[in-house]
Amino acid sequence: MEKIKVKICQGTTCFVMGGDTIKAMADALAEKYGDKIEIVPVRCLETCHESDSFSKAPYVFVDEEVVSAADLEKVINVIESKLK
Amino acid sequence: MFIDIDCSQIKKYGQNAFGDYFVSKRSDNQERLIAVLSDGLGSGVKANILSCMTSTMMMRFIEEDVPIQKAAQTIMDSLPICQIRKISYATFSAIDCRNDGSVWVVEEGNPSFLLMRKGVEVPLEAEDYTSPKFPDRHLKIYQFKAEVGDRIIFCSDGVTQAGIGTKEYPLGLKREGFLQYVKECLAKKSDISSTELSSLVIQKALSVEPMEHAGDDISCAALYFRNPRKALVFTGPPYNKMKDREYCLSFECFAGKKAICGGTTANMVSRELRREIVNIPQIESGDLPPAAAMEGVDLVTEGILTLTRATEYLEKEELFHQDAAGQLVNFLLSSDIIEFMVGAMLNQAHYDPSLPIEIEVRRTIIKKMKALLEEKYFKQAVIHYM
Repeated sequence: MEKIKVKICQGTTCFVMGGDTIKAMADALAEKYGDKIEIVPVRCLETCHESDSFSKAPYVFVDEEVVSAADLEKVINVIESKLK
Repeated sequence: MFIDIDCSQIKKYGQNAFGDYFVSKRSDNQERLIAVLSDGLGSGVKANILSCMTSTMMMRFIEEDVPIQKAAQTIMDSLPICQIRKISYATFSAIDCRNDGSVWVVEEGNPSFLLMRKGVEVPLEAEDYTSPKFPDRHLKIYQFKAEVGDRIIFCSDGVTQAGIGTKEYPLGLKREGFLQYVKECLAKKSDISSTELSSLVIQKALSVEPMEHAGDDISCAALYFRNPRKALVFTGPPYNKMKDREYCLSFECFAGKKAICGGTTANMVSRELRREIVNIPQIESGDLPPAAAMEGVDLVTEGILTLTRATEYLEKEELFHQDAAGQLVNFLLSSDIIEFMVGAMLNQAHYDPSLPIEIEVRRTIIKKMKALLEEKYFKQAVIHYM
């Protein structure tokens, strides 16, 4: 089975809105899913440029699905739905 | 040629103010550099005021294009004499030099400077001038052409007299000892920076003092004429998106070290030059987004937060951090001429009032960084807006 790619945006807005929780999120996901997922920290995904509502950062992409105002619970929900 | 300059100083033991005073300034067009080192009579606050007054006056005269000899003569003739010691209130050395290598130096009372070329001292002829008003005040005037690789090193008598009265140096380090030590430093590291060289000289002087207590104020100012090391910082996408490619190509063609500060900017360069951005997770990032790598680029970082933090580090002289901002500071300080390509495109999301911190406008940060690099670190910096 192909790994699910989890891209965590490291852009300014996401970093400010998510701050240090981004790293904690990456660590928690790696621990929970092991080699089922691949975590990729990325430069600005430029999603914030397109959003009408700026407060949706931080953004995480689970494969091609955008998780806005991302927190651990939301990202886990999306991963779980993809694993089913 | 670029002139790398710095001065290192140690206060006389037990004093709370420097008795030697050093000032330096580059002209706005960056083609001229003026520096003055003055040694005030005595030590502490009184000496500090005397040397500060002398060096500042000298600097203003030269800046106003009063010929350096005339400026020195005016100051020498007008400086008062200490009523107790019957000697001048402050001695000085002043240098006025251009990027083409033209150099004028005047000295009054300070130890003679060193001109080092390929590791050996170049002897120079001085023109002497004696004050008609005070026959014991002698001015030495030098004019010569510096070459690439030359170093000019000034010191106060705290260096040449260091260790005086000790068994090893009964008459102090003297100018011979000063010259010998500079030669040793240059033999060990021929491309040593002025910061490092001046610091080594004062440490050497201190090391020969009894108990390592400075018996006088110790100062060393060094200049190094070299080919400039150029660096380019690309931050922010251009206002006109149609110009993305053009600016990326000019970034690509720049001859020197290159950094990108900004996620969107890095994405743009990656897209236009077809180069991948590679994460380097092993490097400590602290509470900033970590630095990344790209082929042909020396440093890739996040934008505003990193630039803001790097500016703070430069302001507070915290030059030891390992995070992305610390890496940017190292990148900047290991260059002589720094160009900033600053895109005018704003990321609206950065100005959302609900953000937990206030994010500064890129232009403001870069302007502040430029001023710090020029005024505090004697770099040349230029900003191009796109």
